[in-house]
Amino acid sequence: MNGLLLTTQQALQLLLSGDAELWSIVMLSFSVSLKAILITTPFALLVAFALNHGNFPGRRIILAFFNSLLSVPTVVIGLFLYVMLTRQGPFGDLRLLFTQSAMVIGQMILCFPVLVALGYAAIQASDRRVWETSRTLGAPTWFTILTVFYEVRFGLLAAVLTGFGRIISEVGISMMVGGNIMGYTRNITTAIALETSKGEFAQGIALGIVLLALAFLLTALLSYLQGSKELTA
Amino acid sequence: MNEPLFIFRGIEKSFAENEILRKVDLSLYPAKCILLSGKNGSGKTTLLKIVAGLEKPDVAEIEYAGKTNSWKKAIRSIRKEIIYLHQQPFLFSGNVESNVAYGLRFTSLNRKQCRESVIKALEWSRLSDLAKIQANTLSGGVQQRVAFTRAWILKPKVLLLDEPMSNMDQESREQAFFLLCRMKSAGMSIVITSHVPQYFYGLADVQFHLSNGKLVQSELSACNDSP
Repeated sequence: MNGLLLTTQQALQLLLSGDAELWSIVMLSFSVSLKAILITTPFALLVAFALNHGNFPGRRIILAFFNSLLSVPTVVIGLFLYVMLTRQGPFGDLRLLFTQSAMVIGQMILCFPVLVALGYAAIQASDRRVWETSRTLGAPTWFTILTVFYEVRFGLLAAVLTGFGRIISEVGISMMVGGNIMGYTRNITTAIALETSKGEFAQGIALGIVLLALAFLLTALLSYLQGSKELTA
Repeated sequence: MNEPLFIFRGIEKSFAENEILRKVDLSLYPAKCILLSGKNGSGKTTLLKIVAGLEKPDVAEIEYAGKTNSWKKAIRSIRKEIIYLHQQPFLFSGNVESNVAYGLRFTSLNRKQCRESVIKALEWSRLSDLAKIQANTLSGGVQQRVAFTRAWILKPKVLLLDEPMSNMDQESREQAFFLLCRMKSAGMSIVITSHVPQYFYGLADVQFHLSNGKLVQSELSACNDSP
């Protein structure tokens, strides 16, 4: 027990002292995950919108496909991407394996179905009259889509936050296609795994605290958004 | 009678096996008001949405400016001339002013002209005092007036109203009726669906009854006598 307390104390000291190595890992994590979520969000939300408002064959099958992807293990995505990016793979010439770009691509694949499924649910909850009112008042299609997004903004923000929470806390993809290279592809989760395997718990716990704080922040934000949605309903 | 603005011919619409509209014809004249009656599920709303370009018919033609085209081809040109208002209007997040200004951003007016138009429109509907109020906090009757104003500001040729007074008290009905009269006298063609035709006595010029997918002209006086 004393050992745990001591290690936690050391972890807090590392965090508060602004340890350069530790904070560079945190920054890299956020940088990779933010890029992934920012690139994916517009495409995923448009797919969610098309699945909701479109009337084309196979719509339900596509939706079921995205829903089934919600529970795919991250190591499976990591393995798939590894096979694609390895020297002998179809995209080997791009030399992306063990780079931050590969981590971003992997995290994009991971959060895409989350954003589509939750975005779909948010858009489905919107009133059909939003679309019809916007169209009858002369709005072009693109503006009407933006209007629908704005009217369900709390639900969409919740989808984005959930997607971000999923990718910042994943370890399988980052480990397999990032390679856990210090100062280049080492992020919070791969660093925790490494430090723990080395028996150096202080840095692992410090990074764990950052992840926990982030999880708490995201949950608090989601609750706030839920409250705002109910207030404006 | 003036020349019709638009003539919708041979509108047909089915949902699954159910034929809702069977070769329906509808002519819209400037400064004239059509009252549309019919049972629930008779297809009144579907007809209005087809005319507004919000619902696709199985078959339909539109005659305007001396030309007859298929619905799909013609509706792109005339959509901006026709505005449809829901039974319970949807007001966007934001205040009354922003709702009234919504459609103006798709016109050629500049920002200053838009602002002036909004001020005039709010005065027209006597909503100036509520300009900064969040639209979705207003009562049903006032929300309907905001929706009227939002339509009026765009100066459409045709206004389609689906049960516009169904959820209004006496005072709100009088105010809404007053606004509709002003719209009609400004030259708008108005089509109203209602279960209570007597609300529109003095406004409607002709009444059609929709039954079994067919539109039949009926006596306006007869409908006004109904309970």
